[in-house]
Amino acid sequence: MLRRYLARRLLVAVPSLLIATAIVFTLPRLIPGDAVQLMLAETSYAKDIDELRAKLGLDRPFHVQYVEWLGRAARGDLGESLWTRRPVVQELAQRLPVTGELALYATLIALLIAVPVGVLAAARQDSLSDYVVRSLAILGLSVPGFWLATLLIVLPAIWWGWRPVTGFVEFRADPLGHVVQLVLPAVILGVASAAALMRLTRGMLLEVLRQDYVRTAWAKGLAERAVVIKHGLRNAVIPVITLLGTQLPQILGGTVVIETIFGLPGVSRFLFDAINQRDYPVIQGVNLLVVSTVVLVNLAVDALYAVLDPRIRY
Amino acid sequence: MSEDGGGLTRRQLLGLAGAATAGAVAPAAARAQTPKADGPPKRGGTIAIRGVDPLHFDPMLTSSFKTHTALAFTHSRLVRHKAGPGVTPGTFPIEGDLAESWMQPNETTYVFKLRRGVRWQPKPPVNGRELTAEDVRYSLERFLTVPGNVLASTLRFVERVEAPDRSTVRVTLKEPSAWFLDMLAAPMAVAIVPKECVERFGDLKKAEACVGSGPWMLDGYKPNQSLSFVRNPNYFVPGLPYIDRVEAAVDEDAASRMSSFIAGKWDIGYDGGVVFRTEWAQIRDALRQRRPTLRTTDVLMNIMSHVSMRTDAPPFNDVRVRRAISLAVDRQAIMDATSEGTGALNPPVPAGLKDWSLPVGQLGDGARYYKRDLAEARRLLSAAGHGNGLPANVCFTTYGSAILVDQAQLILAQLKEAGIDARLDQKEYGAYFSTCFVGKFDSMAFGPQSNFLEPDGYLAQYLPGEARNQSRVEDAVATDLILRQRRTLDPTKRREIVHALQRHLAAQQYYVSIHSGLSVAVWESALKNYGPNLGYDLGGRLTAAWLDR
Repeated sequence: MLRRYLARRLLVAVPSLLIATAIVFTLPRLIPGDAVQLMLAETSYAKDIDELRAKLGLDRPFHVQYVEWLGRAARGDLGESLWTRRPVVQELAQRLPVTGELALYATLIALLIAVPVGVLAAARQDSLSDYVVRSLAILGLSVPGFWLATLLIVLPAIWWGWRPVTGFVEFRADPLGHVVQLVLPAVILGVASAAALMRLTRGMLLEVLRQDYVRTAWAKGLAERAVVIKHGLRNAVIPVITLLGTQLPQILGGTVVIETIFGLPGVSRFLFDAINQRDYPVIQGVNLLVVSTVVLVNLAVDALYAVLDPRIRY
Repeated sequence: MSEDGGGLTRRQLLGLAGAATAGAVAPAAARAQTPKADGPPKRGGTIAIRGVDPLHFDPMLTSSFKTHTALAFTHSRLVRHKAGPGVTPGTFPIEGDLAESWMQPNETTYVFKLRRGVRWQPKPPVNGRELTAEDVRYSLERFLTVPGNVLASTLRFVERVEAPDRSTVRVTLKEPSAWFLDMLAAPMAVAIVPKECVERFGDLKKAEACVGSGPWMLDGYKPNQSLSFVRNPNYFVPGLPYIDRVEAAVDEDAASRMSSFIAGKWDIGYDGGVVFRTEWAQIRDALRQRRPTLRTTDVLMNIMSHVSMRTDAPPFNDVRVRRAISLAVDRQAIMDATSEGTGALNPPVPAGLKDWSLPVGQLGDGARYYKRDLAEARRLLSAAGHGNGLPANVCFTTYGSAILVDQAQLILAQLKEAGIDARLDQKEYGAYFSTCFVGKFDSMAFGPQSNFLEPDGYLAQYLPGEARNQSRVEDAVATDLILRQRRTLDPTKRREIVHALQRHLAAQQYYVSIHSGLSVAVWESALKNYGPNLGYDLGGRLTAAWLDR
């Protein structure tokens, strides 16, 4: 059943992807200035612009360009950067692991903070620890990631003449250094998500803990740990998982700034530069990847429901 | 000989050649000159700098400073700007690079004699073969003809380039061009590139195609991360460079850059050797404590922001309106607020170009428009029929700079006090660059301009037909003076014309420029024989420097 459900969802995802690619293909071309104008900038002359536009294939009708790109993308060819002439797939292959790893660590950190703290806050409702945790959650939601990152980089330099690792350390060169360099940016990215997840975990758990079957569990004399974790949390966690799925685009969005501040050569920074330069193949390639990832993650979240709650059937 | 005993300055050269007399010019070996105070040069070591990520590695397919800064380490030019502690920042004496000497038999012909035995870097596909006049000819031809070279217009007066023998290059111009050598010496000008790389790679965009004859070779490139350069064993000046490696870490974030510098990650200021004043004010105390051995000197920048206006249509075709705008802008207040009160007001040629800029006080009648006078501004507006207020839009992009945003906000507030209701029309960078930056706006625009190391680049924005002519200026007097200074080889006479031009333009106020900031050039005291200057040629400034640590 689950397999059929997933196949159906994948099929439904195809039009979503097509619509997304059409939007991504169209929007950058609607804003003023194309790659050629930016390349030739102030000293351009009409003849140069036309020549370069033709050379880059930007002079053909819009729909022809789109269909051609779509055909190539289906074969795994996302074209070449208009500026560097490097294949987009090759660029993505180099950068995706960095952003992927950063997003994964950020998600893990968010979960590691959110779930235990949310459970604690729910189990000790209206206690001092609940108030403290809720206040911290509000703070976590309010503090912009870039501001936190700036403080964490600048203050140690001023106080102790030290700053976090600069330059990207590859895993092959130094596995420990590689992971360590990602911890701080991942924590910054994870904090905001953790705050949202924690608040939801607390709220859902409070609701579940008021259910009859939980009262029965207490009446049976089960330990608090068993009641809260086994009976309560498992039933409260489904909305949290849903929220986690929707947090992914936010975490990916956050990586644009964080990758720049920490000098990480990821996909997000690549996309930011590409938008500034109107590097259409790169914009399209990165967005196709992001959209596909979001669709797949949400699919995985749906599949997880059945694992977490055996009553759910597809 | 030049001031420090090296080669001839461009002025001296033109003094010799200006009267169309044929005369050989001495080679430049100034890079090997060393001040005694720094002791004997030391070979070796690695210098760490903040790098910028090149757009790509083809110097003829972009004007981006990011590409040209990187290639200043790896590529040579025919002539170059002299560097070192003896050169005053803001001045750009010229010396030979690949050219051992040159002569100017008449006003439109230059004959360059190349150094003998120069070899390309030992990298495929060139593999260290001898660099000949044909390579120079090929590079100049490619510069002039490759589609998409935005810089080709800087040498549009070149008629033909010939290589009569292996070590001679003859360049014939269509008309006399006083700035020809300056154009060749500029770090964004013709880098000499090997034909084999273009043939193998199609263009020079890929890192593998980065093969030159400069002091260092590109040893590693990680996009968005770093560039590393290693000493070129084939470099044509014996013994140079002294420094074995240059490690350039890419860092695009201001806070990150500042903290890295405080933490001692880089040996020189992180913006091409300098630190902008506002950032310097933030890190100065921490640096005093953490890096007491740093050396500093002030450098007046040539970065000039201005308000441009559509002077081809009402209301800005009325000089009274333009003067009113200039009188409404409080340049000193902007300098105080955004540059810690340091810097200099800019006439049409920025004050940073010391040899050519005319101090504001010497601008004649036009000088008065550089000092705020609200009453006079209102009177002029009223006389022009705008006594009840003048609505306007100011096209703008932030360039990611808080300073620029502050300057724009201050200008808007100051204009409002004079009765000009200007609203900010903020655009995304790409949209701004392809529209307002090239004069496609309806009312006004504000932002920084391209930087040049000679005045002609700035003056071109007053020439009809130039894409840089944002204000769409059509002024017969200005056009005549601009063209005349271009054709006047005698530097003294040319300076007189450039000064007269600035006086004329100051009175017209086609562009209302604000100040340029005084930045702080900063470097580790272990770096010897180093002199900061404007421009992207950091590679050139480090070629004869060494590390004593």
